[in-house]
Amino acid sequence: MAETEWEPKIVAFCCNWCSYGGADTAGMGRFQQPSSLRIIRVMCSGRIDPMHVFNAFLEGADAVLVTGCHLGDCHYVNGNYKAQVRYQFLEEMVRELGLEPERLQLNWISASEGEKFANFIRDVTAQIKQLGPSPLKPEGVN
Amino acid sequence: MVEIGDKLLGYATNPDVRNRGASGGLVTAVLAAALEKGMVEGVVVLKRIDEYEAIPVITDDVQEVLASGGSMHAVPVNLAKYAVGRKIAMPGKPCDVRGVIEQAKRNGVELEDTYIVGLNCGGAMHPVVTREMLIRMYEIDPEDVVGEEIEKGKLIFKTKDGEEKAISIDELEEAGYGRRENCRYCTIKIPTNADLACGNWGVIGELAGSATFCEVMNEKGKRLLDNAIEAGFIEVQPADEKSIAIREKVNKTMLKLGDEWKGRLLTEIPDQERLAYYIEQFADCIDCGACREVCPVCTCGEDSKCTMFHSLADNYKMSMYHMVRLLHLSDSCIGCGQCSDICPVDIPVTTIFRRFADPAQKKRDYSPGMDLQRPPFLELMLK
Amino acid sequence: MKETIYQTVCPGCGIGCGLYIRENGNGSVSIDFLKSSPVNLGKLCRFGMKLPHYYSDPSSGKVEGLVSGAEEAVKAAASRLKNAGKIAMLSAGNTTCEEHIAFTRIAETLGTVVHTGIPVYPELPSECHPHLEGMPLAEIENAEKIVLFIDPYVQYPLLVRRLLIARRNGAHIISAGTKELHLAHENRDLSPEQYAGLELDSNSVIIADVHPHTDSCHTKQLLNLALETGARIHFMKPFINSEGANRLARDKTGMMGISHIMDEIEKGDIKTLFLLDSDPIELMPDSDRTANALSKLDNLIVISSRDSPVTEIANVVIATESLYRKRGTFINAEGKLRENSGQEVTGIDAMSLLSRELGSEGFEYRQLHGHLHEKMIETLANENRKPEYGIMECAPVQHNGACTLKYLFNPFMWANQPDDNDFVLLNMNMVRSLKLRKGGMVRLDSEKGSMKMRYRVERVPDGMILTARKLQVATGTNTTVKVEGC
Repeated sequence: MAETEWEPKIVAFCCNWCSYGGADTAGMGRFQQPSSLRIIRVMCSGRIDPMHVFNAFLEGADAVLVTGCHLGDCHYVNGNYKAQVRYQFLEEMVRELGLEPERLQLNWISASEGEKFANFIRDVTAQIKQLGPSPLKPEGVN
Repeated sequence: MVEIGDKLLGYATNPDVRNRGASGGLVTAVLAAALEKGMVEGVVVLKRIDEYEAIPVITDDVQEVLASGGSMHAVPVNLAKYAVGRKIAMPGKPCDVRGVIEQAKRNGVELEDTYIVGLNCGGAMHPVVTREMLIRMYEIDPEDVVGEEIEKGKLIFKTKDGEEKAISIDELEEAGYGRRENCRYCTIKIPTNADLACGNWGVIGELAGSATFCEVMNEKGKRLLDNAIEAGFIEVQPADEKSIAIREKVNKTMLKLGDEWKGRLLTEIPDQERLAYYIEQFADCIDCGACREVCPVCTCGEDSKCTMFHSLADNYKMSMYHMVRLLHLSDSCIGCGQCSDICPVDIPVTTIFRRFADPAQKKRDYSPGMDLQRPPFLELMLK
Repeated sequence: MKETIYQTVCPGCGIGCGLYIRENGNGSVSIDFLKSSPVNLGKLCRFGMKLPHYYSDPSSGKVEGLVSGAEEAVKAAASRLKNAGKIAMLSAGNTTCEEHIAFTRIAETLGTVVHTGIPVYPELPSECHPHLEGMPLAEIENAEKIVLFIDPYVQYPLLVRRLLIARRNGAHIISAGTKELHLAHENRDLSPEQYAGLELDSNSVIIADVHPHTDSCHTKQLLNLALETGARIHFMKPFINSEGANRLARDKTGMMGISHIMDEIEKGDIKTLFLLDSDPIELMPDSDRTANALSKLDNLIVISSRDSPVTEIANVVIATESLYRKRGTFINAEGKLRENSGQEVTGIDAMSLLSRELGSEGFEYRQLHGHLHEKMIETLANENRKPEYGIMECAPVQHNGACTLKYLFNPFMWANQPDDNDFVLLNMNMVRSLKLRKGGMVRLDSEKGSMKMRYRVERVPDGMILTARKLQVATGTNTTVKVEGC
């Protein structure tokens, strides 16, 4: 087990209407995606509570991605604006806590942007591989 | 009749109250008058435990209000808890008042029927630290102390033998005594967020020590003063320009010193060491939940995210409880210091919360607990 | 709109934290922080924070299950006691010194003794007893080396602060308990033969506790260790007035541990049990068995300030006011005399009436309080005494079996309290070998039955499972169990 390269665990919160569609499109377009990704589908990025992000980190996620529809395209009028406000808050807090900026990222991805989604995940995976495991990862979790 | 914005000098007409009160007994008389004339059903008074400690209680007895008073640099208390749904008048330091207003802003309490008389505050001292300071720095038996006073930057203690000993506050604080850490860098010294802002700064000449400087901040403050004047409990006169200037100068000097202390106490921690620092600080937490219990700005109630999503069965590097509290308080922390006072394992909770709240609040130019108009900034940005 | 503030002491453990209880007009109770309290500076632990709940069930007087006034209950108790055979009286230290003294007077009238339920006292030679008293907590802060045989975080949380201060003062802290402690420099799982390796001297402090289920053999070993090395030894106590109750017992050799009392009740040797604010159902690890045994008694008489399982089944309940309202004093684990600001004495009045009903004299508060001072003056001056006992022999009890389920927490502290510590602690090796999953459960099988529990991963020795709660499968403070993942 020690021989194989360490794979980070990346949790991506995707909204049902856009970024989850983006992930789907990425799959259909046969873009090669790293095995590090765990997608959690929510109906809207506005549903993502900072607690979900904390919990992901505390349970052992090496990076958490918050994704949703492009601003203005929200299926529920302004859910992604709410997500954005909350994210700014959360980002400041996570920075002050001392986690590296790469470990928490926000991105707006539409259902048609499969390639963007795949590239995003690839980039994040590469960044996290550089950084190594999250310092919040509990003992005994790979 | 007084007007909003008036700056006045006033004192109690009852000579007993005037002499016992630290500066003319104005606040005591205003509170007593509000109760006497039925403006409120109760008044929060400080029940004296000993020279170093007092605890707030609600009373509906005018005599008890008049018998209270006397300045005490007591540690803040959770006044907002007592304001809930009651027709009440209370005194409070700036941080007490901020706590109440932040509760009201977040719909925790209804302020319609609550009157708040704010008191200037240069900082409070923890009773236990004070006792230790008396023994080590003053070489006085804490039980012998009958009074204390602050004059020209010196803290003076009087003993029952009639002796006085003064040491400069700077010297005390360098030695780790004196005011609580968060008081040293507190940014609100004059409670302009209360209905009346009272204090002895700017009281000069023959009135020094026997009158209170009082600024009328809003309609409720005007009602309070008018009522007390009408009832014959107090007398007021306009403050002259010199008084006003001195009050402002004291405030500015205090704030400047506060800035210096902030630099010293909230020292920068390098990026790569911060997480380890915070984890280590919280590692001895015994899950008592007292920091939340005493927090004057927490409005979540019994079932809140910090408790419901925190389980003792988890073995996280940092508990959900602390993560959620750090986030919530970066919006609302007023730096009152009660969490640090109460922490059974001496975690510097307030300092940690300020490390998160300070940059966030500064960035948005937001001071929680200062007025009811400006919503919490999370809400504001949503429009 | 009138509020009443009571200055009182937390009944959670023997530390004796000062606090205020605020009672508002409608009788609801909340806590406030007594910052000038020398014991705790206003700080409280999880138990202290939940005190309003503890005080939410004031007791009501009962005779044969029917609500009755104090006088009627006292008379019913008196008539039962007059005709009783062998009487056992238990007061573990959950109430004031004055009430304890009053209870002792009744015991004298009845020709018996008051047991405090801690087996260590009768099982250890009397010259050891002074050394079971605590030392001033502030002195812990100045120790150079500290060995912990308790888990301060969960058993006596207000000790943690003292230990952290000691650590900052340069103390070296060793945990010899079962769980790894964050504040300790070293965590060592030691057998008694290895204690010599601790290298203690006269600047060291040993911290352990004595409670109703303490293995007196282990206490002997610790006293031996203190004797051999010259180290000071500090024993924590489980109840607010454990220290007081035990100091007040004139002759400790006649006393019995609570397990011993329960054995005699099961055998039918004791037919009458008279309790003062002590509930065996809460105190014994196996509640069902205890309740069953108590139902065999001819007479179960309880004086209590709050409703608990035993007041449900008692023949007579004499109700007293809640602890915070009582007039009286307590002696905490460090030997400090602490006083309540409350002024009510219904408990003492009831016992005085009972005493008269039994044909003896009545008594009043002042008298009992005076008696306390007479007795206590010399013992309160707790000096660092030279040990007067010799090395004691003992044969430790062996716990065999694959896994031992052990009570980690002070088992009394959380009795009947709402708490979310419904899980067991086990180590990573066990998680791996049982292939446990996150959020899963473990099944514990003992001779008594089987149950499922959540678990938390913690650094504990292999084969050890720790529990915060009383579990139905437990038969004692150590229970052999079989563990399976599920």
